[in-house]
Parts: sequence; C-alpha cells; structure tokens
Amino acid sequence: MINFGGVHSPEALPAPDTLVQVSRAFTPRVEAAAPTPVLLDLAGLGRAWPTPEALGQALLAAARERARAANVALAATRIAALVLARGREGLTVVPPGAEARAMAPMPLQLLDVAPGEAELLARFGLRTIGELQALPERGLAARLGESGPRLVRLARGEDPRPLVPSPPPESFEIVLDLEWPVLGLEPFAFLLQRVLDPLAESLRARGRLAAALEVELLLIDGRVQRRALRPAAPSALPRTWRTLLLLDLEAHPPGEAIRKIVVRAEPTPSRVTQFSLLDPAQPSPERLAHTLARLHEFTAAGRGGSLALLDSHRPGAFALRTFAPGPARPSPLDAAPPPRLALKAFRPPLEAEVALEDGAPVFVASAGIRGAVLDRAGPWRASGDWWDAAWSREEWDVALGSGLYRIFRDRLRGEWFVEGELD
Amino acid sequence: MRLLAVDTAKARKHNSEEKTKVIPTTKAALEELLRQRRLAPEAPPLRGERRLRPLSTGHAELDARLGGGLPRGRLSEAFGPASSGRTGLALAVLARVTGTGGLAAWVDPCDRLDPASAAAAGVHLDRLLWLRGATEAARAAPDATRAVAILLGSGLFDLVVLDLAAAASRELRLLPSTTWVRLQRNIESADAALLLLAAEHVAKGPGGVSLAFSPQGPRFEGRGAGRLLVSLRAEVRPGPLALRGAALELPATPWNEPRRHGGHGETGA
Repeated sequence: MINFGGVHSPEALPAPDTLVQVSRAFTPRVEAAAPTPVLLDLAGLGRAWPTPEALGQALLAAARERARAANVALAATRIAALVLARGREGLTVVPPGAEARAMAPMPLQLLDVAPGEAELLARFGLRTIGELQALPERGLAARLGESGPRLVRLARGEDPRPLVPSPPPESFEIVLDLEWPVLGLEPFAFLLQRVLDPLAESLRARGRLAAALEVELLLIDGRVQRRALRPAAPSALPRTWRTLLLLDLEAHPPGEAIRKIVVRAEPTPSRVTQFSLLDPAQPSPERLAHTLARLHEFTAAGRGGSLALLDSHRPGAFALRTFAPGPARPSPLDAAPPPRLALKAFRPPLEAEVALEDGAPVFVASAGIRGAVLDRAGPWRASGDWWDAAWSREEWDVALGSGLYRIFRDRLRGEWFVEGELD
Repeated sequence: MRLLAVDTAKARKHNSEEKTKVIPTTKAALEELLRQRRLAPEAPPLRGERRLRPLSTGHAELDARLGGGLPRGRLSEAFGPASSGRTGLALAVLARVTGTGGLAAWVDPCDRLDPASAAAAGVHLDRLLWLRGATEAARAAPDATRAVAILLGSGLFDLVVLDLAAAASRELRLLPSTTWVRLQRNIESADAALLLLAAEHVAKGPGGVSLAFSPQGPRFEGRGAGRLLVSLRAEVRPGPLALRGAALELPATPWNEPRRHGGHGETGA
C-alpha cells in the first residue's frame, strides 16, 4: 500500500516553507526537517483521489505552481519516497514491493547516510544504491558492524521509521474585512475588541503572551497605515492592548475611513515570576505599560525614562532608558544619607561673563544671574576624552547675592559658563 | 462535638480570669499613652480607615515637626528662593522612597535635575521615572501637571515630585485656577505623596504641608586654593505662618569624594 509521498525541488524555493505549505493543503501530517524534500503521510487520501497516479498528479501540479522544477514520488516506504523524489524528475509512483528495483539506479548519495559511512562505501567502489543492495548483509556486518545490515535494508527501500509530523507554524494574525468603512476611533474601538479577543484567546491557548503587536489599517483611499507597539512588558490581555492601541492611534490618527484591520502578535513564552511575601509588591506590568503609553508625549520623544549614569568622567554623562523597574532590593530606611546639596543644572550651560582678580572670579553676569562674588571655592580642574571629543574645564562654586552657583571655564575655548544652581 | 464544647467552656473561664488580671495594667498603660498624647498613632486603624505612613525627609527635627514626614494622599509644597535647599530635601525623600522598594517620579518641565546629584543623594535611579520637559516648550507647565495627574492616577508611585522652581511665575499664573484642586482630588484616592517645588507659594492641598525655605547662606572653610564649600544652611518653616523653623544644613560633596560619577578630576591650582 502506498503510504508515503515525497516532494522535492532541486531549484531554490521562493520561501523556505513553500513545499510545506503545498503539502499541508493535502494532509496535516507533513514531516520537513529541511525546506526540501518534504515527506507526506498519504493514509486516508484514497477517498479523494481514487488512484495513486491521480493523487500524484494533483500534488505535482500544486507543487509546480509554487516551485517550477518540483518532483513528486509516491511509495510504500518513506526512504523510497524521499530518494525517488530527489532522484527522478516529474511524478514517480512505485507499486508496493517494487521499491528496491526503482531505487537501484539512483546514486548512493541520495540515501543520506552518515559522512563516515558514505566515505567508506565510496572506498568500497560503490556508486549506486543497486550496488549496495547486491552486497551480502553478513559480509557488510563483519566490516561495518551493526550499521552494515541497516544500510542494506535502507538501500532495498525498507525503512521502519514512522513519520514524525512537524508542528504547524505559530501564527497569531487576525484579519477583519469590514463591510462598511469606519471613520473615527469610537466605532474602531468596538471593532478592535472583536479582533483582539480571539487573538488573546489563541495566545492564551498556547501559553503565549504578545511581546509586540503590529496593526495594519487599510484605508479607503488605498493607503496602509502600519503601527507597531512594544510595551514594557508582554501581555495577553485584550483590554491592555486595546487601550495601548487606541492611545497610539489618538496620537497618530489614520485620517481616512478604515476598510480592513489586520492585527499580528509577536508571541513570547508566558512570564513565570515567583513573588516574595516579604518584599514590596511589584508594579503590575500591564498598568505600567498603560501609564507609559499615556505619557507618550514624554516617552515617545525620548524625554521620559529611568536614569543611568555612564562610566565616564565627562560632566553630565547619563543615559535615559525605558522605565522598567526590576525586583526591589529594599535597604533599611536609615541607609539613605541625610539631605545634601544638589545641583540644578542648566541645559545647555548658560554663557557667562566673568571678571577675575588674581585668577579668581569676582563678578559673574549671565542670563538672569548677575552679581559680585561674595565667596568662592575652587578651582577644580578636570579633563578627558583627549582621544575623541576632548574637554577640559575649571570649576568654581561661587556665592552670589542671589544664590550659590557652579560656574566653569572651558579651558579649550577660554569661555565661561554657569553650569547650575546649588540647591 | 462534645469535646469541643468542653474545651470552649474552659477557654472562656480562663479568658475571664486573665481579663481581671490584665485590665488594671492595660488601663494604666492607656492613661499613660493618653497623657503623652501618643494614643492615636499607636491604636490599630478603625474599619475602613486608611492610615498611611508619611514619607520621611531624613531630617529628624523636620520629621518631628511634620508628624513623621510628608503626608501621603496629599499635595505638599516646598518653596523658597534659589539655593535654599528645596532640591536637596526632595532628593533625600526620593532616596528613602526608592530605597525601601517604592517607585517615584520626577516631573521636570524645565529639565533641571542633575543625575549625579540624584545618585549622590542615594536615589535608586532604576526606580525613578524622570519626565523631562523641553526647555523651549511654551506649554511646559500645563503638560507637566497633566503628566502628574496620569502618574497619580496610575497608583504605581509612592512619591511624585513636580519641579516648578525654575518656571516663570507668569507661566504659573496662566495655569487654570482649578489645577491644584484637581491634582488634590486625584491624589486623595492614591497612596502617593505629591511634592511641588516652587520659587514662591503656589498651592497647598488640604492636609498637605507647605515648607517655606529661607536660605541662611553657604559655609566655606579653608584659605586660597584649598578653600572648600562645606555646606548650605537654610531654615525650613512648616507653613508660612509657623513662628519657628527647623535648621537645615545640607553638606556639599566632600572634597575627597568624586565630584562626578566615574572618577576624580585633577587637583586644584
């Protein structure tokens, strides 16, 4: 009985899963360790195609629509189907029991034996599968051990291995074609619920969360508006995604009526977190994502996030990162130092005119800051990055009548600046 | 069931005996607590009562005057002229909040926060959300108050600081008069404290505190090139009408500590 089908394309495929997609249209039981060849389980297909030839022709026609040089072979064993699909052009249907004869003229490389064994067989002077079939099993076992008889059985088309179906690719995409175009966010919000609910359900069913969501809106004028959201934490809650999407679309309105909605989720494994009874409760990732989305005026413009000091001597070297607080590591209340003097920086530093006496500042004039220096400390000299964008400065802390300020002289340009107010 | 009934009866008898012994001691202790006016804070909360621990400022005298620190669920204000210590005190509260595992936000419409100062104050930077305003934006203050409302509404943050100290008073006067009432209503249902930094008295919610800062001048020590800024002294009055203030001395970064993150500069001339 013909149970297996092999589909192979000697030419490059338009996409890695082309043959798998073609095969899945015939049966869900498809094994594909590589893009080609693909092995199909044909059991039960006799009802739709009365003869193996009819089934083979249908499979070949479907495969050649996607890959011009595709070959198809139908056989009773998996190794025969795979070898003949790779070795013969067009359609090959092997009657049960004729596998050895059909495979005999095929080159030995099509058997896909281990590299060491292939080299050994080549040194024996074997070129075709038929030459391997002709060798005595006992003699081969004496030379190759237990793999000898196995190779001979494979060459005869005897392959007891079962077909192991490859899992279907995970796709989390919902398409909603609208009968009537919708204009405005309010009716869109209602439709969004109809898309996000089944998407979240399919994610949950496979134990997945969505790390990112991609939305394509086909507009009535033919344009496609694409929006991609990647919140601080993955989520499978439709309410969370709906709010984030609506907030994003409020900031970037489509402008025209929407005709079609495509929502695609990027799956990620579910979060497994063991909370502690003793540590402070962690913020809900969903609520944090909501809050940051509402603050998009700041976060989208790179003006909101958590601070990170950079390992640099350059004054004011810091980076702003996405606010994603990790687990709390509480320290005792008295571990924090008492209040101390802080700088309120001017960005960029204010240009200043500074009068000097014996090399020390005695009068400072800048935008909104002007006065005689009542007291001072300094100078503090610092420099760095001479190998790149060099900087060198001389800092002073000066007390004016209006407050306490940090001023500095750029030693490379010879100009004075007010860096900030000490508060 | 019978065994349980016997046990219950025994327990009731035992409890009544215990009560007669304990009551005199308890009564004396209660009277003592009443005399010391310490009863209210020590008593367990009543049903439905929200009792939230205030946020310590790190200054013992000021905390004592404020009843423990800045109250939660209230809008408080720290105002005063330049170099009066408002930022130093706000960063100290921030350090305590983030150090105990809480989250805090610093809404900075004028973009004046110095990250190195925040780190030196002990703030856990990964637990601080900094929202920087664009300096040239005309709507910096309204945007900032809207951001504060969102942060308070999220219920995620223990402390939200709104730094309007550098905002022009004309811009603050242009804010709708209901702004502070609205923020106070937002915070009433939250466990967070809102601290407003300003140059002059702007707003105060009912139940919140107004800290009036008066600079008392910096303290320098040493001579010539070795002269150092040691500290800044200020007086903080809890409320504009308070007769006596708390003396606050904010130490400067010691000379032997790096003035910036990552290393020391050259020696002074």
